[in-house]
Amino acid sequence: MNASSTAASRRHADQPTVLAYEGVRKLFGDFVALQGVDLQVHKGEVVCLIGPSGSGKSTLLRCTNALETLDGGRILVDGQALPANETEVRQVRRRMGMVFQSFELFPHKNALDNVAMGPVTVLGMPEAEARQKAMALLDKVGLAAKAQNFPANLSGGQQQRVAIARALAMNPEVMLFDEPTSALDPETVGEVLSVMQRLAQEGMTMVVVTHEMGFARRVADWVVVFEAGAIIEQGPPAQIFDNPKTERTRDFLGHLGWNG
Amino acid sequence: MNLDWSVVWTHRQALTHGALLTIGLTVLTMLLAVPGGIVLAMMRLSHQPLLSRASLAFVEFFRNLPLVLVIYWVFYVLPMTTDVQLSPMSTAIVALVLNVSAYNAETFRAGINSIRKGQLEAALAMGMSRHQAMAKVVIPQAARRVLPVLASTWVSLFKDTSLVSVIAVADLAYSAMQVRAQTFRVLEMLTAMAVMYWLMGYPQAKLVDWIHRKYGVKE
Repeated sequence: MNASSTAASRRHADQPTVLAYEGVRKLFGDFVALQGVDLQVHKGEVVCLIGPSGSGKSTLLRCTNALETLDGGRILVDGQALPANETEVRQVRRRMGMVFQSFELFPHKNALDNVAMGPVTVLGMPEAEARQKAMALLDKVGLAAKAQNFPANLSGGQQQRVAIARALAMNPEVMLFDEPTSALDPETVGEVLSVMQRLAQEGMTMVVVTHEMGFARRVADWVVVFEAGAIIEQGPPAQIFDNPKTERTRDFLGHLGWNG
Repeated sequence: MNLDWSVVWTHRQALTHGALLTIGLTVLTMLLAVPGGIVLAMMRLSHQPLLSRASLAFVEFFRNLPLVLVIYWVFYVLPMTTDVQLSPMSTAIVALVLNVSAYNAETFRAGINSIRKGQLEAALAMGMSRHQAMAKVVIPQAARRVLPVLASTWVSLFKDTSLVSVIAVADLAYSAMQVRAQTFRVLEMLTAMAVMYWLMGYPQAKLVDWIHRKYGVKE
């Protein structure tokens, strides 16, 4: 059930390791959110983290860009351990784009400025250039026409697509998605997933926490099943969804009504 | 009853000066108490326990004392315990700024805390420093939420400046009382004073209502 037995079917196994989690532990008071997680993410891979709520998937994602600190183990980004020092953490963060469940667009800026803000503030890009880049990214997510809209005047799906454009504006090596469609109306879920799928096809390395099993089945190269702060199974989607190796994976998918 | 309203016109100059001083006191107090409140709020939200507790102590001290007592204390007790003797005008400003800074500190703190944590995280996740995230993302949003509250504080302050008349600062209240004492025209002068405060206060209150509508939280 671990990497060695399934390496043959891991399409990107020969690619460099972008993220390596080694014995990652995280506590919230007495609650053990992560109890020694080992996982590797290769370049160009789409890794979907699935599992019941509270099983540690989002926590692992938030540890990846140091929004949470670790209580044990370590995370290597391109072979380098996540630094402790604030300035160095910022260097790592700008190489990762993050998309949040609740979008977190900046309500006092229009869509264009939301996207242009990172390059201007963090990379010191001239404003005209950043706006041009932002416009191209909004076009890419199909929202060039909404560039002047403020977040309050965009639907949930549109806001999340702007948020994806905002993360892409930093030219990240890895994109982290924290339940990007969980707060959306069902009719707008599709537009966000299709943007993500296109991104995957372009070769973006992505770690996606999701409850969208159809998306994981279709797009993921590697699926990781969490329960109670630990990985209970990982493998290619065909294994996880069609032929799970553990009873608990079967139970979890069964509860979701997944039947292959 | 024998009323003589001409007394108001006769003393128009003193009353006008008083009204201007009242406005000036309000403006000057706010100009000092806004930065004061920001500094106190930043201290309160800092991770340094010493700064945070000092700010908390300041705020709770001045928020829970009657303003008139602070005015008396600065004017009478301060010179007894130290060598500092402030003029009535300086006393008035010090007392008002201490009081209003404490209120503003709570306003700014609440404004900053009202911005969802996810907003700060989204800014940090892009690689912004904490300082940039506050300046570009949190504070601009907090300012809009705080503005209506500041405007309300302004209107209260405008009326509360009348308390400085107890140490003979010649604001509108003091000037009107002086005329009353000289002429014994109690009803006329107190009415004139009420009308003047109201005429100046009402447009401000309406302006506050407008600010509430324009900048109130909509999300």
